[in-house]
Amino acid sequence: MKRKLLIALIIFGILYILPLKALAQSTYVLPYPSVMPGNKFYLLERVAEEILQYWYFGDFAKFTYHLSYADKYLVESKILFEYGQYALAVKSLERSNMYFIRLESDLDEAATHGKDISEKSIQLTSAKDKHKEILEEIVSEVPVEVLWTEENKPQQLLKLHHLLDKSIMLRV
Amino acid sequence: MKHFSIVLITYIIFILLFTIFSFTFFNTDIVNFPFLQFSVFSNRLLVGGTYTLFILLFIGYFVYFLNFFSVKKNSRRVPFIKVVAISSLLVFSFPGMLSYDIFNYIASAKVTFFYKENPYVIMPIAFSGEPLLTFMHAANKTALYGPSWILLTYIPHALGLGYFFLTLYMFKLYVFVFYLLTVLLLYRMTKDIFRVGLFALCPLVLIETFVSGHNDIVMMFFAVMSFFMLEKKQIAPAILFLTISILIKFATMFLLPVFLLVVFKIITGKMISWKKMYLYSMTSMLCIFLLSSFREEIYPWYAIWFLVFLPLVEISKRIKVIVFIFTFSLLFRYVPYIVTLNHFGLTPYLKMIVTFIPVLIVISYYYSKRLWQKVF
Repeated sequence: MKRKLLIALIIFGILYILPLKALAQSTYVLPYPSVMPGNKFYLLERVAEEILQYWYFGDFAKFTYHLSYADKYLVESKILFEYGQYALAVKSLERSNMYFIRLESDLDEAATHGKDISEKSIQLTSAKDKHKEILEEIVSEVPVEVLWTEENKPQQLLKLHHLLDKSIMLRV
Repeated sequence: MKHFSIVLITYIIFILLFTIFSFTFFNTDIVNFPFLQFSVFSNRLLVGGTYTLFILLFIGYFVYFLNFFSVKKNSRRVPFIKVVAISSLLVFSFPGMLSYDIFNYIASAKVTFFYKENPYVIMPIAFSGEPLLTFMHAANKTALYGPSWILLTYIPHALGLGYFFLTLYMFKLYVFVFYLLTVLLLYRMTKDIFRVGLFALCPLVLIETFVSGHNDIVMMFFAVMSFFMLEKKQIAPAILFLTISILIKFATMFLLPVFLLVVFKIITGKMISWKKMYLYSMTSMLCIFLLSSFREEIYPWYAIWFLVFLPLVEISKRIKVIVFIFTFSLLFRYVPYIVTLNHFGLTPYLKMIVTFIPVLIVISYYYSKRLWQKVF
């Protein structure tokens, strides 16, 4: 009896002391992947993206636009990483970062115009959590760096973990 | 004329009473005024019955005025102006009596011109603390109207100077101005007070325009204006006006086939029977009106879409009676909701009965009368 209790205590102690990582499941919903690079309509989507920035005028509209494309490119990069298309994945992730860093300034501008940003701030926090979750997943699945070779192009060293860590830091 | 003057005096009292009555639909949960203890929210049957009585009286006045203006020997222009002027007192009524659309107009304008956001992307509900949200029934929707309407609403929004009640009545006055322009345009096209009165004095048109402030009259003004331009053989302005109209609520897209037919006839130098073209236009708008029930439900104010062509067409008295019975029954369509304060349950069925049974009775009466005459 005493022996069983001791074993239980040791196991409990190990579990208590060891920093076991539990990934919090964010309820923020990312979009479905849309047209991927290589598809004949991808260029059209990129053109639409450029035009739509004028449709999304206003602080909250800009925030919606930047967040939707930050999400879209994050999902795109995740799929591309899964398929081992690291060069394209890096480009998509960089685009996602480009849109994501604008979000705080969109909300700051909205606040200076007297708009209540509390709901949008909560939305941004949820988006950050979800993005971090996805990026941490990707970090555990891809190599630290890759020497990428493409036909008729010079080799390039893709420092994947460096970019992913930088992306995570942007979302803190 | 003495008789007419007496009726006018009673009409003033009637309009004022109806205006006061409209405030019994004010939601006392929002603001509590002492006299509003008698409200639809606590006395549904009484308010429903009173509303029915008011509509019946409205119909009575309409029939009387039409009868008066049908007598050519009567001096008609000044009396007509007097009737319209008295009716316009309804502009001071509570706009949320039968529909809350005007609050959506104000909110879309505020999102666009005050908050400087795209109303097709950002909903009014994004602005927590916005006082308009209390009155809106579509705060969680982006703008429901076309860009022409959004741009046109800059004027009443600006004139409202940021004050809610001033903005509210500016919107109503704005719609009233378009009503006047439509009436003037119809008179210019027909030169007949009686014909213009068929539309201008119709209780449905007066209530939905002056009380509820719906933008359908704005849309139809531009549509009729486009045809007026075609009558003058000015195709470019006609296209512009029709485009503005379509970009208000899109329903006038159904006028495109008739519009293109007229343009074709103008270009090829063919004879145009305008009465026929307006009849086709009226029929097109009647079709889209009936089809609207598949999208949501038949809203009474949509009847303005085809009613505006009534002064311009030649149709038999019987058809006119059927059209008017239908528009009157559309006004009674509100009664089931007023009495139940519920959009579900029995209400949709009661609405159907109230809308279509009177028309079916009249059609059956005319048909059986015709059959009787044929047989005997």
